[in-house]
Amino acid sequence: MPIDITDNCNIGYLCTEKQCYIGNGNKIAFRWIDLNGLVKDYTFTELHTESSRFANVLKNLGYKIGDVFFTFLPKSTEQIISFLGSLKLQLVTGTLFSNFGEDALLDRLGNAEAKVIITKKSFLKKIIKIKEKLPRLEHIILVDIDDHLSESVMSYSKLMNAADITFKVEMTRPDTPSILHYTSGSTGKPKGALHAHKSILMQSKTTEDILQLLPDDVFWCTADQGWVTGTSYGIIGPWSLGISQIHYAGGYDAEAWFKMLAEQRVTVWYTAPTALRMLMREDDSFFENWDLSNLRCIFSVGEPLNPEVILWARRVLGKDIYDTWFQTETGSIMISNRPGLEIKPGSMGIPLHGIQAAIVDDDGTLLPSGVQGNLCVRPGWDSMFITYFNNEEIYRSKFKYGWYWTGDTAKIDEDGYFWFMGRSDDVINTAGHLVSPFEVESALLEISEIAESGVIGVPDEILFEKVVAFISINKNVEWTRDLELKVRLHVSNKASSIATPQEIFVIDSIPKNKSGKIMRRVLKAKYMGADLGDISTLDI
Amino acid sequence: MDNFEKLNQIFRMVFDDNEITIKPEMTANDIDGWDSLSHINLIVAVESAYGIKFSRKDVLSFKNIGDLYKCLESKL
Repeated sequence: MPIDITDNCNIGYLCTEKQCYIGNGNKIAFRWIDLNGLVKDYTFTELHTESSRFANVLKNLGYKIGDVFFTFLPKSTEQIISFLGSLKLQLVTGTLFSNFGEDALLDRLGNAEAKVIITKKSFLKKIIKIKEKLPRLEHIILVDIDDHLSESVMSYSKLMNAADITFKVEMTRPDTPSILHYTSGSTGKPKGALHAHKSILMQSKTTEDILQLLPDDVFWCTADQGWVTGTSYGIIGPWSLGISQIHYAGGYDAEAWFKMLAEQRVTVWYTAPTALRMLMREDDSFFENWDLSNLRCIFSVGEPLNPEVILWARRVLGKDIYDTWFQTETGSIMISNRPGLEIKPGSMGIPLHGIQAAIVDDDGTLLPSGVQGNLCVRPGWDSMFITYFNNEEIYRSKFKYGWYWTGDTAKIDEDGYFWFMGRSDDVINTAGHLVSPFEVESALLEISEIAESGVIGVPDEILFEKVVAFISINKNVEWTRDLELKVRLHVSNKASSIATPQEIFVIDSIPKNKSGKIMRRVLKAKYMGADLGDISTLDI
Repeated sequence: MDNFEKLNQIFRMVFDDNEITIKPEMTANDIDGWDSLSHINLIVAVESAYGIKFSRKDVLSFKNIGDLYKCLESKL
């Protein structure tokens, strides 16, 4: 049954206060498990009061509807509470992956004209380095200091202690801007996909129809809240339905994860293909140690799920894995496998009821089954992004011939199943994270020894794709192990660890066409040992 | 500077944090930004600083900083 938004469409309200009104106040909203295995439960009442308290913190600091707030934290309770509190106040609420370096932060915080950010002490120096370039940034709230450091660098606990737990969520219209997630393109800076509060309708619907969560389920979404899956399905979808969740502070760890699945009696698990492929490296006997009898369904998102993983899970875990497809821009699952639908291993599944997806050629003509083309979705679903923040022109360019163009290529079979084929641009999907080659190339060019750079994604058996850099170095510079390390650390600390090239090749010059565009296709062919194709436009 | 202190300096450089003070029992959970990808940076940095090479088996066997340090010392 669709959630009722007639009294208020506010995501923060619907996930907390509304749950208390409908009788879930004493129910566990989430069980927080820290890195030492310590457990703390939060009921919906506590989630409501703490997020209201944070809404008051922001209100007391002078923020109002439409101002931009960001979280920049590893997985933490403060991240969840502040996210919901900010939404209650109707701030535009962005989340940032905690491994972002200062360049990545500047691109995002700068474009969004962020006014306030919550982070931790050890991340403060990254923000201080770029603070002068962020004239709109007024407050930095730190979760791990007891006292305010200044009028602009403040203590979370001190602010929370001074704030009231009662907060009246103003009537929020469905079209009011809500969540801001940045996503990478093949050219230019990252783009901020902005959603509206009504996105909760789709996040709730897909949680019910695709993930098929039931009131007594224990759900665990392993995604980081820095990315869209972590907010759409690690926060909003399940809590809009009053479902209990597990939140674990750590990243991938086979033993910790399976201990969690067994001991916490997780019933539905949403994770990523990279993690599943890493689990496949464990000996089969490892999986005999855990009682997974409560686990009903496993879902996957982020990259295509190769058939081998599905077959492995059937053999070793005795479970099916249901692959789902969506994007930052779509805000919720669009095409999916699901219980009750026959799985064709390797397929994305079929579109959600009410979603019209199609394969079209470059002129917008529908293509027949079996023919590869552009994967497009008919606009109008509730969780569709409403703009790229401060980048309306690029937003508009995503809509042509009455379709939203996803940038993915796919084909449909005769049964209506969609099959992912690749990207129509150069964006790299590594471990479920989209990396812009342009961002990595720019970071590489900041290194004085490097003259030119070209970055591509190539197939990888664990990560789906890995980042590979081709560089040419300046005359009289020798390529050494120390220089390689310098390059790695620079990209890691300026962009993020996920953008760091896994392989670096030094070549004489980077192939470019006559207008100076890097010919990544040629680099890829060179890496794969394939035919270079038409190189008539190559500037040699 | 002894080898453990030198290793500490490498951690500070790799994770861009001058406040890191490593201890043998520390793991990736104790240091911000230490994920599987930055782990490769760490290994390259240690190999480069000490002029050694870790095998794949070595790298997979490290459960904490103490394991890394023991393996490092055995190669010096």
